[in-house]
Amino acid sequence: MTTNIESGDSPAAEKPGAQTPPQGKRERLSPVPLDDRGRVDPSQMAPHQAALRQAVVDTFHAKKARSFLQKQVTHINAHRALANGIKFLFDENGRAPANAPLEDIIEERRMVEYHLMWLESLVAEMRHRLVRVREIEDAALELLAEAPADE
Amino acid sequence: MAAPLFLLAPPRSYTSLVNAMIGQHPQAFGLPELCLFNVERLIELWNGVEGENTERGAMARHGLMRAVAEIYCGEQSVATINMARAWASVREFWDTGSVFRELVNKLDPLVAVEKSPSYPISLQRMHALQRTFPDARFIHLVRHPIPQGKSVMAINNGAFTMRMGAFEIHEDYAMLEPQIAWHDVNLNILEFLSGVPDSQQIRVRGEDIMADPETKLAEIARWLGLRDDDEAIEEMLHPERSPFACFGPLSAMFGNDPNFLSGPTFRPHKPKIPKMDSPLPWRTDGKGLYPEVISLAREFGYDDEY
Repeated sequence: MTTNIESGDSPAAEKPGAQTPPQGKRERLSPVPLDDRGRVDPSQMAPHQAALRQAVVDTFHAKKARSFLQKQVTHINAHRALANGIKFLFDENGRAPANAPLEDIIEERRMVEYHLMWLESLVAEMRHRLVRVREIEDAALELLAEAPADE
Repeated sequence: MAAPLFLLAPPRSYTSLVNAMIGQHPQAFGLPELCLFNVERLIELWNGVEGENTERGAMARHGLMRAVAEIYCGEQSVATINMARAWASVREFWDTGSVFRELVNKLDPLVAVEKSPSYPISLQRMHALQRTFPDARFIHLVRHPIPQGKSVMAINNGAFTMRMGAFEIHEDYAMLEPQIAWHDVNLNILEFLSGVPDSQQIRVRGEDIMADPETKLAEIARWLGLRDDDEAIEEMLHPERSPFACFGPLSAMFGNDPNFLSGPTFRPHKPKIPKMDSPLPWRTDGKGLYPEVISLAREFGYDDEY
């Protein structure tokens, strides 16, 4: 059975077939060999080591997926109204659309809502100005009505 | 053409901050992470390279798109990012060294400063840097392995350690061990720098810059042949003024560490340096640094009296 570490030692000390490196020459500590382009190449590892490495990789990916889902669920809970608004985009299995990340959809929805609010406030402002113009018009008409006919 | 400056360091070694600080010098231009030397032809940043799946993401292109938009149009917006895509499209079959040279020429006489953390993981990429810019200068930026490892493990569940093959394998289980990545990346850098003339390289501890930025930044400026007056140093203390020290437009938001993008302001502080025999925060078995890591850290000037 091959390992790259024993309790209290460094990986290099326990590499299979490892010998004391010549003075001044240091070796990598990673147990994963490199290919000819300098990239890690797990295919050259001993089967037992490769299996243990793969288990870590699988756990990493599972953790990553879990934390992503947790984040998405938190996001949806915090924006329940928005989530309801875009529910129709999801397929029958509850999967989000492939080409439109949830964040983009929520952002778009939020932007449309901002635009609506902006337009509504613009309409309100214009109505207010219209009321003021009408008041001025009415005042002007009253003045005209009160003015002597010969002026 | 002013020779560019590259920062070589494992990730989470103050590279974003130091890159932006040096880049704020009035005679320099701090670039975002261009990742150009990850591939040989520009089009490969879009198409990917076999076996380089982790670098196929759009985020690897954000830095280049933001840089082109800023350098050629003076602003970063959805429209100028579209222009940057067209710029890249015209050059899609160029080798990435030529693309980088064009940017450096455009910036001349400013000194281009870059620090893609994907370069030092591969000797091949660093050699490509040197082939393209034989007179380039290099700063080997180092950080103590314990806080660096802690920081690496806090980002994306320690994905960088996995990419570096930094596994500690026991009889019946394996685990990610960031000190292996710290050691192996620094070893890569040392091996590369052994072929670079001494006059073109220096080593700087990130903690020294954090603790005494005025002195250290002035030393770096002098080494680069740049002004070291108070006005220049004051500007270097404001990395947040860099046009890349914030998120970019929706179509190219990143190009740097998101933590830096969301909080780029520099606050001088004296980082705590743990003792070499301290327990490692990412381990539950109370184990410490490997002897090789301690030896390399001491070579970098970290000891218990530091």
